Amino acid sequence: MLNRGILTFGFNVLFTKKRQVISCYPVMKKYFLFTLLPLMVACNQAKVIDDLNDASFALVNQEGENVNFPDDYKGKYVVMGFIYTHCPDICPLITRNMVNIQEELGYPEDVQFVGISFDPGRDTPEVLKKYKNAFNLEENFDFLTADSTVMAAFLDSVRVRTQVSLSTENENGEEIYFLNHSDKIMVLDPKSRVIFEYGGSMTKPEYIIEDLATVR
Amino acid sequence: MKTLQQSDNMKNIFILLPLILSLLSCTSQKKEVPVSTNDAGLEGWARPAAQGAMSAAYFTYTNTLDTADTLSSLTSNVSMMTQLHESYMTDDGLAGMREMKNHVIDPDEKLVLEPGGLHIMLMRLTNDLAEGDSVTVTLNFAQAGEVVITVPVKMSN
Repeated sequence: MLNRGILTFGFNVLFTKKRQVISCYPVMKKYFLFTLLPLMVACNQAKVIDDLNDASFALVNQEGENVNFPDDYKGKYVVMGFIYTHCPDICPLITRNMVNIQEELGYPEDVQFVGISFDPGRDTPEVLKKYKNAFNLEENFDFLTADSTVMAAFLDSVRVRTQVSLSTENENGEEIYFLNHSDKIMVLDPKSRVIFEYGGSMTKPEYIIEDLATVR
Repeated sequence: MKTLQQSDNMKNIFILLPLILSLLSCTSQKKEVPVSTNDAGLEGWARPAAQGAMSAAYFTYTNTLDTADTLSSLTSNVSMMTQLHESYMTDDGLAGMREMKNHVIDPDEKLVLEPGGLHIMLMRLTNDLAEGDSVTVTLNFAQAGEVVITVPVKMSN
């Protein structure tokens, strides 16, 4: 009902004739608290890109602990990047961006940082733990993997794509493959809704921090 | 009467202005701004990584010969396989990586290795790489012969 009022008012203001605009004046005075004020508050609520509130994915963190995503992080903002550990160039830039955001924010309790592996076949919890240790990361920073079917469904739900690109053989004749992949960092709000999305390796951390400040 | 109506109009403009500004400010929450990733400088460095994993090395090499030179192969003291790779964006917007075999460097041209671009791929590390360690890369050029470059392992910013 409130939203309807805002929409109606906005329509009058923008599109009706002058005489009708004048007639809005007393209405505006009367409904100021119910129209302009909620609208200004609404400006602190970012547009929802994807709503994961009803989703549930059985993931595993770098300690081998089960993580029910996103439920286990509900109530926190989540800064989420997508990586795989066989990528030594672009993916560390994505991870480094998230690390810089955490440092700049002063390691806040209400912001969880998550690196999602889109290469679950090779990125086991043990591998992800080593990857985390290489970045000297502390609390509130998880790397998550899963059964490949679960991970495929999760990646699909947030529009992250991968495709095998380059493969080569090592000295033992074993295949080493690389992936073309989406380059993304996302921010989820405490209700598990994706509200911001960025180029993961190429966005300055300060821009993400600025956007977080508009909603936190 | 007309003057009074104009005055009312002015009142309305002042009252409506914050509303219009509020509406405008609501329209652009999403930002995607590219940033230069050349934080390597010219001194060179390699990424920390665990044994068995991948790392990358970055530095700048200048071909000082008066002829073009070709980078034929690479080896390193810390990896089972070593290659020159390039990160790039595919036509459908994915981040990709490709090997650059027999890369040619013109006279006086710099081979700039930096995050997000050309880099030395250190594949299947033989030991952990941590800050304070160093990595030696041997580049085999068709003209210049063997060029050995040693860079420190450090965390990028």
